[in-house]
Amino acid sequence: MKNSNINTNQEYKYGFTTDIENVRAPKGLNENSIKFISKMKKEPKWMLDWRLKAFNRLKNLKEPNWQKPKYPKINYQDLYYYSAPKSASNKPKSLDEVDPKLIETYKKLGIPLQEQKRLSGVAVDAVFDSVSVATTYKEELTKKGIIFCSISEAIREHPELVKKYLGSVIPLTDHYFATLNSAVFTDGSFVYIPPKVKCPMELSTYFRINASETGQFERTLIIADKGSYVSYLEGCTAPMRDENQLHAANVELVALDDAEIKYSTVQNWYPGDKDGIGGIYNFVTKRGACRGRNSKISWTQVETGSAITWKYPSCILQGDNSVGEFYSIAITNNHQKADTGTKMIHLGKNTKSKIISKGISAGQADNTYRGLVDIGKKALNSRNYTQCDSLLMGNKCGAHTVPYIKNKNSTSTVEHEATTSKINDEQLYYCNQRGLNQEEAVSLIVNGFCKEVLQQLPMEFAVEAQKLVGISLEGSVG
Amino acid sequence: MLEIINLKASINKRDILNGLNLKINPGEVHAIMGPNGSGKSTLANILSGKNGYKITGDLKYKGENLKDIPVEQRAQKGIFLAFQYPLEIPGVNTNNFLKTSLNTIRKAKGEKEIDTLAFLKLVKEKAKELGIDEKILSRQLNVGFSGGEKKKNEILQMKILDPNLVILDETDSGLDIDALKTIADGVNSSRSKDKSFLVITHYQRLLDYIKPDFVHVLSSGKIIKSGSRELALELEKKGYKKIN
Amino acid sequence: MIENFKISLKEIDKINLINQEDKNYRIENLEFFNKKGFPTKKEEDWKFSDLREIFSKNFKKIDINDAYPEENNFRLIQEFDHNYILLINGRLIRSDFKFEDKNKIKITGYKEENFLREKSNNPLICLNNALSNEGYNLVVEKDYKFEKVLVIYNLFNEDLSEKILNNKNKIIVNKNSELHTIEYTINRSKNKFFNNTYENVILYENAKFKNICIQAGRSEGYFHKFLNGSIKSDSKYSSFIFSSGLKFNKQDIQIDLEGKNSDCEIKSALFLNKEDHQEIKTIVNHLVPNCKSFQKIKSVLDSNAKGVYQGKIFVKDIAQKTNAYQLSKALLISENSEFDSKPELEIYADDVKCSHGSTSGNVDENSVHYLMTRGLTKKEATQLLINGFLKEIISEIKSDTIKKFVENKLEFQVYGY
Repeated sequence: MKNSNINTNQEYKYGFTTDIENVRAPKGLNENSIKFISKMKKEPKWMLDWRLKAFNRLKNLKEPNWQKPKYPKINYQDLYYYSAPKSASNKPKSLDEVDPKLIETYKKLGIPLQEQKRLSGVAVDAVFDSVSVATTYKEELTKKGIIFCSISEAIREHPELVKKYLGSVIPLTDHYFATLNSAVFTDGSFVYIPPKVKCPMELSTYFRINASETGQFERTLIIADKGSYVSYLEGCTAPMRDENQLHAANVELVALDDAEIKYSTVQNWYPGDKDGIGGIYNFVTKRGACRGRNSKISWTQVETGSAITWKYPSCILQGDNSVGEFYSIAITNNHQKADTGTKMIHLGKNTKSKIISKGISAGQADNTYRGLVDIGKKALNSRNYTQCDSLLMGNKCGAHTVPYIKNKNSTSTVEHEATTSKINDEQLYYCNQRGLNQEEAVSLIVNGFCKEVLQQLPMEFAVEAQKLVGISLEGSVG
Repeated sequence: MLEIINLKASINKRDILNGLNLKINPGEVHAIMGPNGSGKSTLANILSGKNGYKITGDLKYKGENLKDIPVEQRAQKGIFLAFQYPLEIPGVNTNNFLKTSLNTIRKAKGEKEIDTLAFLKLVKEKAKELGIDEKILSRQLNVGFSGGEKKKNEILQMKILDPNLVILDETDSGLDIDALKTIADGVNSSRSKDKSFLVITHYQRLLDYIKPDFVHVLSSGKIIKSGSRELALELEKKGYKKIN
Repeated sequence: MIENFKISLKEIDKINLINQEDKNYRIENLEFFNKKGFPTKKEEDWKFSDLREIFSKNFKKIDINDAYPEENNFRLIQEFDHNYILLINGRLIRSDFKFEDKNKIKITGYKEENFLREKSNNPLICLNNALSNEGYNLVVEKDYKFEKVLVIYNLFNEDLSEKILNNKNKIIVNKNSELHTIEYTINRSKNKFFNNTYENVILYENAKFKNICIQAGRSEGYFHKFLNGSIKSDSKYSSFIFSSGLKFNKQDIQIDLEGKNSDCEIKSALFLNKEDHQEIKTIVNHLVPNCKSFQKIKSVLDSNAKGVYQGKIFVKDIAQKTNAYQLSKALLISENSEFDSKPELEIYADDVKCSHGSTSGNVDENSVHYLMTRGLTKKEATQLLINGFLKEIISEIKSDTIKKFVENKLEFQVYGY
């Protein structure tokens, strides 16, 4: 017999917390807590100045309110802006020195660090509560001149790169949450791929939110220099908890001439319980600049978690012949709300963009695709193709498609298509007749619906994502 | 194997079956023939457990009452329905679907799940037996399949899932002679003493290839005449009206 | 910062008021408008048409119009038999229903009591509520089908420099009745003016209403029309919009499908040239099950023209078996033209068929090339293709004479480019 504890855990597979003592900044958003973060990170003065500049800007900004999902007012003075596992202050020299509790957590998540080195060939910069604890595969990457480290380390070790590119895609003044991140970001990843280098492995970071009342403010910066290639994976799980947690990450990508960046996300943070209590607020700013000629940035996301997801991974297509892609699956169940999509800003000649969005809504959830395609006057011979499909399960949920399409160029073509459908009863019957139960059948059909996006994910991720699609919709068909 | 006693069924208050009786023993092949609207497809749907019908009477499969057993459990117990119109399911890989299906059935039987390699070997073997190009198995389930390909795919699924009671719902409709032969070969090679078949068809043509032990004529929701294979030939000559 | 227009409360005194209550309602609305001003692109509904900017560029001041001169040189359309009503600067001057049973039709000018005092957040509706003083009310009694089309001549005379005209119209088609109208706008003003119309259409059970909207020629007028349609069961609303050649025109259409099996069609073919800026904004609300809506908007943009389509389909949770479709296609034939669209779906019922598509781009090069190999010049080939592109909509008009009439109007513009 299972006890009730285990049953609770089953509802949200990754719902557990780890007891690790935390070093915390004083509560509240003010210059002192920003100085504290900067000091803890041993940052140079220019970095602190940059943060304070953002903080001053923030005072004049208001939280945006145009997005569909509304959320209770956040008391920014009641949050901790920095917390680090204590064991991080004397950094482990090898994986064996890592806090065994951490290792155990990762094992529960299905990412045993110990084995990863040997088995998967994936280098992992594991973020546990805002601070990088262990980075593997560094040596192998270093040989190729690739820099893959925490952003804190990059600020200390590679200031010239950070100074040049940080905030160059998402300016300090962008919008409330992005600016908040610029002021108080704690950690995240930094990647630099030198010219003509193809990164030999998928780079990956697993995020975890752990300490209570800790807003998470990751900052990621990826630079692909001329002719280089990198594929980056971001996966998230979070422990069970009752309070809403704010997560406002900034991710900046820069692709120079002939470079390509592929950025994949599987987001499975705690969505709140069946009645909509708790869950993460996922207010993320992700933006990539195709700065060079023939550059390419491709975003793929599978969003199944969080109480509220609000993100628009975007591409600024500056370089001639540059390409932007956005592949998205957003699944909302129970009381989840997602408002997600992309912006494709065409500035250069012969730029191309493609948007494939699959939204699935069940329970009382609300799922919105919101996107902008903007073809500028100088973006001669540019192309966009957009396809947004929504799947509704039941009549208590909603699907919303809000594309903004601007074409200022007579030599360019924009195409947009959207459909709304439900799972066909006859399809379910056919699957049942072949022995599949309702949930297996739904999972199969929904995975089929999402196929074009799932195909974009790297192998390791695709399998996990397929399972997630099924798990996320459990109990949604009665 | 299957016993149907005084089966009555209606949908949206319209009576379709009006007291149908049928007994099929292990190893037997029964054919049900009847004009359009006589209730043939309804019978197939009800045996598979499709929702939406109001039913009275008894359905016994291997001695067990089928009432209240949902579609997927009937399938797991070995009832297979080859659809008249196999459904298209976009994005779902045919092989993947079949493997999932086979493993749920194996699990229900208490057998070990089959791994991908063994599965692919099995599929290859069965496809070869049927003369089916296995390329269609790496395509999306029934999407863009021709009528013949869809029906062949149904028979391939039957071969792989290895059921005990097979219901063929007008599997012959819309097929050319080559496809018809492929399907008949598939069925004939599967005949055994612990497998039964219920072949539902409008035309006698299929019965030239799949030789039934018994032929029943269905009209207005009832079996009005039963006999041997010769009954089918008689029907072909005289038409349904005369039999009535 | 662009300064906003404020309209003096004294303007209200120019209107013949019925009572103090009316006056208070108007003052309230004007104060709201003065506070909010002409909408800017910061407002979602005006994202692609910044009216405040357009106004400040083109108008120094704006006064209420109080001149309604007698018409001269007014000639009826000769191409087909029709009934008509004549509006000059929005005022109902006369009507002629010689093909119909006059007992079945009621037509009157603007009447205060015909409209509910509704609160609105839309500044232009508020402006209309504050200043409207002209318009017409048309009622078709039940069980009556119009024999001939009704042409609504909407004439604007020569001296409307910097004037604002606010009209309120109401059309009611009762049970089992049928009405077909052509709204024909004739612009004689050489100067800029602003016409702000509020129109209310009610179709009762099993009624049909079809409207074609078309212009006689180019105009210096700035037009805004808010149309609210309330569609009861088994009735059908159908609208064709061919309003080419206007400096600024925004049609803001809200259709509420309130009764089962009701149906709504909005089709448009626009040729926008010079500095034309036109927007069609629609919301079709599917509020009950089994309703159908269909929208197809085709635009061709030349010179510095800008076209906008904002279309929204809303499906309420109970509105199962909805069938809703929306398509916008635009051809940009000049490097300075622009087309923006926002085709929006908001769906809360699962057993529905809803889809939309939107494309914008150039004339198909292969087709141009093909025609050129047959001896046509590039311009001729382009004209032929855009004419064909727009004709698809016109071909859906049933009456041959009216179809021909509309075709001629549009061809005149296309071949004049």
